[in-house]
Amino acid sequence: MAILVNKDSKVMVQGITGGAGSFHTKRMLTYGTNIVGGTTPGKGGQTVEGKPVFDLVSECIEATGADTSVIFLPARFVMEAAIEAIRAGIKFVVVIPEHIPIHDMLRVRKEAVAHGATVLGGNTAGIISPGQANLGIMPDIAFTPGRVGTVSRSGSITYYIADTLTRSGYGETTCVGLGGDPILGSTFDEILWMFEQDDESKAIVMTGEIGGVYEERACDTISKMKTPVIAMIGGIFAPPGKRMGHAGAIVEGKMGTAKEKLDVLTEAGAHPAKTFKDIPEILKKLGV
Amino acid sequence: MRLYEYEGKELFAKFNIPIPEGRLAASSREVEAIATEWNKPIVLKSQVLTGGRGKAGGVKVVENTYDAKAVAEKLFEMKIKGFPVEKLLVEPKLNIAREFYLGVTIDRLNYRLVVIASGEGGVDIEETAEKSPEKIFRKSFECDQELYKFDAVEIAKKLGLDSDHVKQAAQIIMNLYSLFKKYDAKMAEINPLVLTARGQLIAADSRISLDDDAVFRHADLAEMGIEKRHEEGEMTPREQQATEWGIPYLDLDGNIGMFPGGAGFGIMGNDFIHYYGGKPANFMDSGGGPSPERLAKMLVLLDENPNVKAIFGARFGGISRCDDFAKGVTMFLKEHGLSKPMVCRMTGNMWQEGVRLFDEAKKENPELFEHFEFHGIETPIEEISKRAVELAREAEGGK
Repeated sequence: MAILVNKDSKVMVQGITGGAGSFHTKRMLTYGTNIVGGTTPGKGGQTVEGKPVFDLVSECIEATGADTSVIFLPARFVMEAAIEAIRAGIKFVVVIPEHIPIHDMLRVRKEAVAHGATVLGGNTAGIISPGQANLGIMPDIAFTPGRVGTVSRSGSITYYIADTLTRSGYGETTCVGLGGDPILGSTFDEILWMFEQDDESKAIVMTGEIGGVYEERACDTISKMKTPVIAMIGGIFAPPGKRMGHAGAIVEGKMGTAKEKLDVLTEAGAHPAKTFKDIPEILKKLGV
Repeated sequence: MRLYEYEGKELFAKFNIPIPEGRLAASSREVEAIATEWNKPIVLKSQVLTGGRGKAGGVKVVENTYDAKAVAEKLFEMKIKGFPVEKLLVEPKLNIAREFYLGVTIDRLNYRLVVIASGEGGVDIEETAEKSPEKIFRKSFECDQELYKFDAVEIAKKLGLDSDHVKQAAQIIMNLYSLFKKYDAKMAEINPLVLTARGQLIAADSRISLDDDAVFRHADLAEMGIEKRHEEGEMTPREQQATEWGIPYLDLDGNIGMFPGGAGFGIMGNDFIHYYGGKPANFMDSGGGPSPERLAKMLVLLDENPNVKAIFGARFGGISRCDDFAKGVTMFLKEHGLSKPMVCRMTGNMWQEGVRLFDEAKKENPELFEHFEFHGIETPIEEISKRAVELAREAEGGK
């Protein structure tokens, strides 16, 4: 099994005719992802990689049965696109673009909660259930089907973690990118709880970074979980008050230091890892 | 995007939040002219994009008009947390009876907007929150929810005002909330909100931070002269150069040049270096799929930095390909040359091809690769980090 996306997911792409949209549609299809179509208002009737293009998400759902959407649109159009998808009945939306206005993302989140949908991102590399489906921009080379789930804010860290799990023989069930923007559609605790319900995920690696509050929010969930969680936080030695790349990655006052995050997660029952090579060692000790 | 106090107050005025009469001055001569014209006690307030300016001595009361010029001159010489004082806001000294705190911000944890009020203003609200949380009142709203008059009155009553002033304060709360939503703010604070001896409520200070990613929909801000700015204090010359080249870059105080790929591993790679006993000289983010030209520029920044004794490189080819990465690095080696030892690892998309390109280039020009060690997937990134620390130590003469 996997969480959120698998080989049966019917995936549509919003912005499928754009440069990034069409490029990644091809990549996702090549991986074996079940892409059923996409939308670009005003381009209904065209095709991309042999898949039908519609003007509206509702038309795409009616014709193809789409239940999942990946958004490849400029940041300023994301809010409306996500709300359109959610209201039309899409249950899982992946927001690839970065720099989504904060107030927009608050609305998307509200809409998702009201309709029982899940949103990932913005600024996520996507999500992959190895061997089944790859949504977003992650390279498939690092991933292999297996028994550990991962959740991270950063794409490059997801690759390193998956690469470590792949080469140590554990493989992955699903790798989830939460995104690097300051307001995210989903949070660590929500994804961890999905992994907890998944019998095939025998352990979870979560990697966070300085800034924000989403890692701390996971503590309560971790303390209730049976599936072991390995936690890694980037930025233990980051200087305070300096923005390190991700818009969300800045230590503000006393909030959001990596040390504090790792401490509270460990207290809640997570197993702390310092570098990637610690991960297979911890998994071995846990008998995974 | 953080606003200067005077910019925030312009927005306050637009939303009918009372502010003191104020004028902006860019020289001590201008301050002197204003002081002479007003001929009453004034306050000179340094305009800097950082908090704690009061504690740093950046706000001065001038009782006597004749002192204004000299006090202003001193302020213009100041740097507050690395920010030079270039403008002063000149205001009449207020006759203060009481000070309050009002703020609107985003509760990222719960995805809500929060109005915060306290009967104790003029102080660091985070400190109050920590020491006496009972003195702070919070009321939260859905992101698209109206703040009605009764909400505002409920909040205003917590300030401990009499009923006349509760009505005034409620109007200010509603206006601040409208401003917050209208301009895509991350934070809008009035601290302090002042009750004057004559019974007027006035916003004595403003602290507003807007969402950079939403500035595009507020064209009127540019008309007011409010544009995107660098708000992290003074930049070093290298940070300035990197900014011009569009490369996210920070100088740090170590000696290992970091060339790590994306922001996520950029942050974590710094930790790895520390774990093996080294110290990074910088933070850098290549961005997704950097061009060979961009990679070469990133290396120039490191190679020309005298603090850098060794360079750590890592590339996980995602959408970007390692062969393109190898081409970029080779271009740098040929056109610029590497004067420092560098260790680099490539894995992910097309890594074998990347290694092959390096091998080939090395055969052709072995002298270019004198200081350059490259590895593929077989060497763990931890070993690369360790090696970079060793190289820096050797370059420093074994220290």
